[in-house]
Amino acid sequence: MTAPLLEIRNLGKRFASRQGREAATWVIQGLSFSVPDGEFLTIIGPSGSGKSTLLNMIAQIDVASDGEILFNGDNIGVLDQKSLKPGLDRRVGYVTQDDNLLPWRTTLDNVLFPLEVQGRLDDKARARAESLIKAVGLSGYEKYYPHELSGGMRKRTSLIRTLVYDPPVILMDEPFAAVDAQTRTQLQEDLLRLWEMGRKTIIFVTHDIAEAVALGDRTLVLTKQPTRIASEHKIPFGRPRNVKDIFALPGFAQVYESIRAEIQ
Amino acid sequence: MTAANDVVSSAAPAGPLISQRALIILGRCVFAGLLLWAWQWSANEFGIIFFAPPLAVVQRLYEMAISGEMFFDVWATLRISMVGFVIALVAGLILPFLLRLSARLTEAVEPFILWSQGIPKYALAPWLILWFGIGDTPKIVIVVLMVFYVIFITTFAGIRAVDRRLINMARIMGANETVISREVIWKSMQPFFYAGLKVALPRAVGACIVGEFLVSTQGVGYYIEHSRELSDTVGVFAGIVLATTLVLVINMIVEKMEKAALAWRPVDRT
Repeated sequence: MTAPLLEIRNLGKRFASRQGREAATWVIQGLSFSVPDGEFLTIIGPSGSGKSTLLNMIAQIDVASDGEILFNGDNIGVLDQKSLKPGLDRRVGYVTQDDNLLPWRTTLDNVLFPLEVQGRLDDKARARAESLIKAVGLSGYEKYYPHELSGGMRKRTSLIRTLVYDPPVILMDEPFAAVDAQTRTQLQEDLLRLWEMGRKTIIFVTHDIAEAVALGDRTLVLTKQPTRIASEHKIPFGRPRNVKDIFALPGFAQVYESIRAEIQ
Repeated sequence: MTAANDVVSSAAPAGPLISQRALIILGRCVFAGLLLWAWQWSANEFGIIFFAPPLAVVQRLYEMAISGEMFFDVWATLRISMVGFVIALVAGLILPFLLRLSARLTEAVEPFILWSQGIPKYALAPWLILWFGIGDTPKIVIVVLMVFYVIFITTFAGIRAVDRRLINMARIMGANETVISREVIWKSMQPFFYAGLKVALPRAVGACIVGEFLVSTQGVGYYIEHSRELSDTVGVFAGIVLATTLVLVINMIVEKMEKAALAWRPVDRT
């Protein structure tokens, strides 16, 4: 296997203690893993295990207290607020738990936003945005404001807003947590379909075991605080996958159970 | 009788919303009528020296409009309030955006700005006249001082209220600070901005009129003060009506702008 695209070494995060409280505790400590190019990695952990904090540090909107992150073999400074480069020069995209759409922009203008701020808004980029909007079934809603869309539609908009500028690594923080089960399955299928087209490197964080197994090539299980990697599971299913039928596949119950046993 | 019944029955399916609206308008008319009656009653009771009757005021406004004096005075007041307003607006907007770039500078400067707000601006008038003479400048300075704090404080609050997650999102996508200021912060603080405008604009006109009481040879404030000196109460009232109308028209324009700018907000789409 070639050198990993992204490597996390001994990452740690400690929050400054508030006045009148005991010494700061480590939320994350000694956490290491690496991700090869083109892998769909899912990370699963109990709630409060610092999953969002981990992604915030990889996206460089939050400083780490210890350890290092390597991108393409280069050490990127993560310990000092001043050296942080959010999004690592557009190489790391981030689909957050909340859709974070700009409420004063329509669906189309939200999708075009990253291209606009990057000064890459040409006809080719517009065509790409249009085709992504079509691919996730948002045609006809281009002129709607976020508050006029359903939760699932806002998620799709937020997803393709990151896909549109094509970052090589995409972080996803429980992007489908807040929608109903049926919409979630649909969104998962949309995501896999879009991923099959481009095969980006994805780090997908969730607390839903079935989701982690259905989407990932590999699943990492996190411990409780201070968070480390508890175990690693290869997902034995091929591609392309059908999210709806994944439960019926032989081996699903076994993987599911072994992950469930790991989560305290 | 039949016709009246028909009207009632055909109006009924339109729903309670229409009649609700009609009721509100009726209520407003009744209220306006009561106010006018109280005005007329006061004029009768206290005499024309203390209370100008409404009809005499209307007559005076008509004369002022015919002679062109009205437009001359309104323009004088409008010009000074707007010059002062624009200066205060630019300063009150730019300063918080600059302070945003340095948390330490903000912490150092903010208390001074807030303390200086405590200075009673009109108390500075004699000193301003000493410095700038009796031309437009002291009035413009008073307007600037009265408006600046409103814009500065609302802008500052607006910047602080911006959702951090939206800023982080824009940063990750490669937006620089200028783009973030323009596309995220400025856009999301629009409700604050318009709230500030609605307080600041009437203040600008009010400050200008008080300025004109003190030093001027033209403007609505001058007209009111000059009429008082001549014991012309009708003139005083006409000036007050004129000033009120000016503020109302300005407010209507701001509200139209706000509606257009905040069309994306669910609350404004009734």
